Amino acid sequence: MALPSRYCWRWRASVTGFIETLTGVSGRPIFIAAAYLRRPGAKACLEYKIPVIGRAVPLNTVSSPVTRHRSRFLYHTPRVCCCRIHSDAKLKDPFTLVQNDLKNLYEDIKKELLVPKAELKALCDYYFDGKGKAFRPMIVVLMARACNIHSNKEGNLLPAQRSIAMISEMIHTASLVHDDVIDGADTRRGKTTINEMWGERKAILAGDFILSAASMALARIGNTTVVSVLSQVIEDLVRGEFMQLGSKENENERFKHYLEKTFKKTASLIANSCKAVSILVNSDPEIHEIAYQYGKNVGIAFQLVDDVLDFTSCANHLGKPSAADLRLGLATGPVLFACQQFPELHAMIMRRFSFDGDVDRAWQYVLESDGVEQTNYLARRYCKEAIRQISRLRPSAERDALIRLTELVLARDK
Amino acid sequence: MAVMWSRLTCIGLLSRGQRNLSIFSNPSPSYWNKVVSDAEKIVGYPTSFMSLRCLLSDELSNVAMHVRKLVGTKHPLLNTARGFVYESRNNLQMRGLVVLLMSKAAGPSPAASEQLLPDMVSGIYPSQRNLAEITELIHTAFLVHRGIVNLKEWTNSDGPLKDMQFGNKMAVLSGDFLLANACTGLAQLNNTKVVELISSAIGDLVQGIYHENSNSTEESNLTVASWEDQTFLSHGALLAKSCQAAMELAKHDKEAQTLAFQYGKHLALGHKVNSDLQPFVKRGTDPVPFSLDSAPVVFHRQIVGPERWLQQLQQVKTITRQMDHTKLWEAIKSEKGVSQAVDLCCYHGNKALEAIKRFPPSEARSALENIACAVTKF
Repeated sequence: MALPSRYCWRWRASVTGFIETLTGVSGRPIFIAAAYLRRPGAKACLEYKIPVIGRAVPLNTVSSPVTRHRSRFLYHTPRVCCCRIHSDAKLKDPFTLVQNDLKNLYEDIKKELLVPKAELKALCDYYFDGKGKAFRPMIVVLMARACNIHSNKEGNLLPAQRSIAMISEMIHTASLVHDDVIDGADTRRGKTTINEMWGERKAILAGDFILSAASMALARIGNTTVVSVLSQVIEDLVRGEFMQLGSKENENERFKHYLEKTFKKTASLIANSCKAVSILVNSDPEIHEIAYQYGKNVGIAFQLVDDVLDFTSCANHLGKPSAADLRLGLATGPVLFACQQFPELHAMIMRRFSFDGDVDRAWQYVLESDGVEQTNYLARRYCKEAIRQISRLRPSAERDALIRLTELVLARDK
Repeated sequence: MAVMWSRLTCIGLLSRGQRNLSIFSNPSPSYWNKVVSDAEKIVGYPTSFMSLRCLLSDELSNVAMHVRKLVGTKHPLLNTARGFVYESRNNLQMRGLVVLLMSKAAGPSPAASEQLLPDMVSGIYPSQRNLAEITELIHTAFLVHRGIVNLKEWTNSDGPLKDMQFGNKMAVLSGDFLLANACTGLAQLNNTKVVELISSAIGDLVQGIYHENSNSTEESNLTVASWEDQTFLSHGALLAKSCQAAMELAKHDKEAQTLAFQYGKHLALGHKVNSDLQPFVKRGTDPVPFSLDSAPVVFHRQIVGPERWLQQLQQVKTITRQMDHTKLWEAIKSEKGVSQAVDLCCYHGNKALEAIKRFPPSEARSALENIACAVTKF
């Protein structure tokens, strides 16, 4: 894992500090690349490495070696792992393992959305068209079965656990619908967004309706602890969205703020859904914590990779235009890391890339820097922690699928 | 405290000169106010500080700061924010107050153990106070979400689109924030039946609001029956189900729950018809603007039939395609729509009275009776 020696970590100590706090009680702190934090003379190198970038330079013509290097770094390594695991007959693909449990997932969700009037029904059903990845329900079902086996039960999925899988997808979708209004997005998963088709007012109401249906389904499980755990998610989602409104002047705080926002907006749903299915089968708080920590670490890694893909994936891949985050004024992992090498980014982050050419220039800086590699590296650390946590459960096909899932999270390119 | 003070002053800045703006107008204010302030004394302190906690949160101070940027624009969020400050006494806390009075009127459950009683303050369980607050949070959240603007319908002459986008963002976030707080508050009640009931009320509210403005077109055939169904969703379900949930929290039986539901439902419907009638019953000859969805208009349409209604609509269309409300107002007043709506209002007021009279006599019960009577006064 040799990396070019142009790292400059002015805030090393605090970075490890806040990651320690983020990994929580039972998690060991994740140390970011301690090896290359200690490079003497890094600052000196930095000075002459800063390229002078003109505003009009088209992105695809410059730094193609960097791009090539990055893509190898990004996709090659995980693929090697995948091959090794594929050859291992004992390990099943996570998708095949949950296929049966999730067969009618979207149909069942639509049954929960009871609306007599046709138009509102159409809006609510719009994203439950079976074309989503059902990433969250998959984790939830695997976690449920892994916990069941660990608890000396048969591996069978409890009906309430399957409900949690549905509810997690519903809460996720409701938040997407609202996010699209807030961001003014016009496409999502290759479809025109609800706000673009029916207007903002109806889109918000549809999101509210999906949330109320999720909340009813949750209450029907009849477990007050589970209700509390998933209500926390709804609060975290809104607080995360609020955190996105502001940026911090201080760089240390800014990174902490970013990771906290990432937890609230993405990881909380996965972590708490995992916790909920473990509560339903086992009363041991230690098991709940394992489930929660796995979900939290995978969730953060998932979002970090997502933030990287915003820079590296081409426009139609992710279903949204590249550098969408920059256009929205958001500084994600790659930019925050790049800011270490190119302090010019600081001012742009503070003005939320609002000046003409800011987005292009920032993108350029990120591609010139090691921001993408650093963010990927951080994602890998979170996945390692997730694996360490889940390995404490008794071995099962589902547990191993959860381990394998972390590799898929890192390797995904869309 | 300093935070709240600065927020109030900054919302206060917005409201200069528009003090009389109301979210929904009240029937004869003096009588109504007296009934409400008498009732507030009965429940001890009115709230459980949940909304105060919301107001003091970083998130809402953030919104308040941003809302200031909207001054001078036409985004509806501004009016809603003004309402929070100037109308909070009479309107916004009404639902919570009814839930508290209902809790007190029903009293402790006959099955309740003696140990639980010391928890009660002024004869109301803490969980019921929290429920009252949650009801208010949900109501307020939807006041905010009702004011989301469809950007495509916005024309440049209405003002810069950017302001509207920003206003929408704030409205979505603050509405969501209030709803999220309602959700966590609900979870803390530790009663999944209540969570289910109130969640279904949120669903009802959404369905009601969704169709709120789609009926104002002349083509729709809105009957009085369907109007009532829809008004129950948009204005009655939350209060009815919250009253029912208050009974469930004190473990009262099915019958008490049904009565509480009926009271909440009929009170809310009566109140809605009453405020719909205000433009037609106010003294003076000057016509007041009214909605084509309001109860007297719906009755009027049913009386004159779809053809004559269309004709009347055509007649009042001026060259600018704007509605001449004065002529329509006169046409409606000349028919029986108004008196039929008054009858409907009294019907709901009496139904509410009937339900509450089945509870044992108490101070709280009389207050609820007074509120039900006030709804039928013009």
